[in-house]
Amino acid sequence: MEEDQDMTDTTQAETEALVPRQGVVADGARQTSADDDHAIIFDVKDLDVYYGDFKAVGGVNLPIRQNEITAFIGPSGCGKTTVLRCFNRMNDLVEVARIEGAIDYHGVDLYGEGVDPVEVRRRIGMVFQKPNPFPKSIYDNIAFGPRIGGYSGNMDDLVEESLVRAALWDEVKDKLQESAFALSGGQQQRLCIARAIATSPDVVLMDEPCSALDPIATLRIEELMVELKQDYTIIIVTHNMQQAARVSDRTAFFTVDVKETGQRTGRLVEFDETGKLFTNPTEKATEDYITGRFG
Amino acid sequence: MTQQPFGEETRQSFDDTLDGIRRGTLELGALVLENTRRMSETILENRVDLAHEVVTADEEIDARYSDLEREVFEVLARQQPVAGDLRLLVSITRILYEIERSGDLAVNAAKGVIRREGYWLQPNLQSLLARMASATTDLFAKSLDALTDLDPTAGERLDIEDDVVDDLVAELYGAIGKASSEMEFELAVELSRVGRYMERIADHAVNIGEHVTFIVTGSFPADEDPAVTDEG
Repeated sequence: MEEDQDMTDTTQAETEALVPRQGVVADGARQTSADDDHAIIFDVKDLDVYYGDFKAVGGVNLPIRQNEITAFIGPSGCGKTTVLRCFNRMNDLVEVARIEGAIDYHGVDLYGEGVDPVEVRRRIGMVFQKPNPFPKSIYDNIAFGPRIGGYSGNMDDLVEESLVRAALWDEVKDKLQESAFALSGGQQQRLCIARAIATSPDVVLMDEPCSALDPIATLRIEELMVELKQDYTIIIVTHNMQQAARVSDRTAFFTVDVKETGQRTGRLVEFDETGKLFTNPTEKATEDYITGRFG
Repeated sequence: MTQQPFGEETRQSFDDTLDGIRRGTLELGALVLENTRRMSETILENRVDLAHEVVTADEEIDARYSDLEREVFEVLARQQPVAGDLRLLVSITRILYEIERSGDLAVNAAKGVIRREGYWLQPNLQSLLARMASATTDLFAKSLDALTDLDPTAGERLDIEDDVVDDLVAELYGAIGKASSEMEFELAVELSRVGRYMERIADHAVNIGEHVTFIVTGSFPADEDPAVTDEG
């Protein structure tokens, strides 16, 4: 599993963008809230995810908007990570996994015929719970993906730009040839984010990116996410509800239903602007979960 | 048929804390209500001794207000409440303010009696003041009931009932105007102020009702935030 994950955010099939790159927001115009003018980048339609006969999550309908941070929250087993992994077809790597319904990406069926999952994963990068830098230098961690992808520009510039964007440059600029393992956990995670964005993705998926980090490193990543959403679309799975409340523009709350047979199936309960969901949720199940009354 | 995977209450101590804060707020409200009644009696019976009691009783009200406000502030910092809990606690800080201000207004009205010791009121003014005092304390009591019951309609309902107080204060001003040639100027001013204080207490009661509506529904009646539309 670790190995699969390592490859995902670095594989680059081609550099030519088939999908228009997002416009860069003007300096100082940081977006701090959800905006219905943002285009829908992913449209999740009646999504069910199965592992063999077992339905892990069902009936998910969800629009993800460009240049926003969307957070998935919910108790263990609610399917939030399962759904996240559908966005870059990571579940393809699990043999028994299959989906019903559809996820449109820029209006194209992500699971349609002829769609190359490798190209999907270049455009839709991923950052994992545990920082997983390659056993290489800081420089090579960033350069690895673009090199495989045949990047023809100035590699030094790309490495610097990626590290600057990931708010790591100042800390590592004098030791680019040192091992990535010499960095602290928080720095390693920012390196993984820099590595993910070095291949010019459109979307960055984050699966519990701060769960292994201390509170200060966590806040730095959160600050970075808010910076990054000017250029990318971010979807984050988090167990930390305060984190979802702090950084995301919209929040999806999933829960898990347990049938009398003991079978557990996740479902989306509520999806709304984060400010609304954390001050006046519509569903009682959401209220109970975010106020910690159950769970 | 499905069931929730969880089912046990997980935040009993937090719930107890919230209950305690609500109870404390209602107790503070009850103290102010009592002092408002005492104020009415003070004015209607022209009793300086009772006026001093009103002033003294307000000291405990102020002390309890500070304690409760500090407690809510600490709970906000430590529990980081969201959703209904957040609405309750933020609204409680504002309700505490409305209650405490009402207490101050009762004191102001009572102090008028001390200042005007030994005045005589014409029967029609006496009767108008009695009706105002009764309508005001009644409205204030209803606002506390609304908080007890968490009545979502409180904001709109109390706003309508406040019209009675508004009409009475208009009537009082008219009566003072008519009687002004027969009484001292200072007394006329004092009575106008007392009318104004009671009207303000009634306004605070309406605000409490609006905060209660916000606690329950997440929005103010007709989306009007009392803190914005009606300065204290």
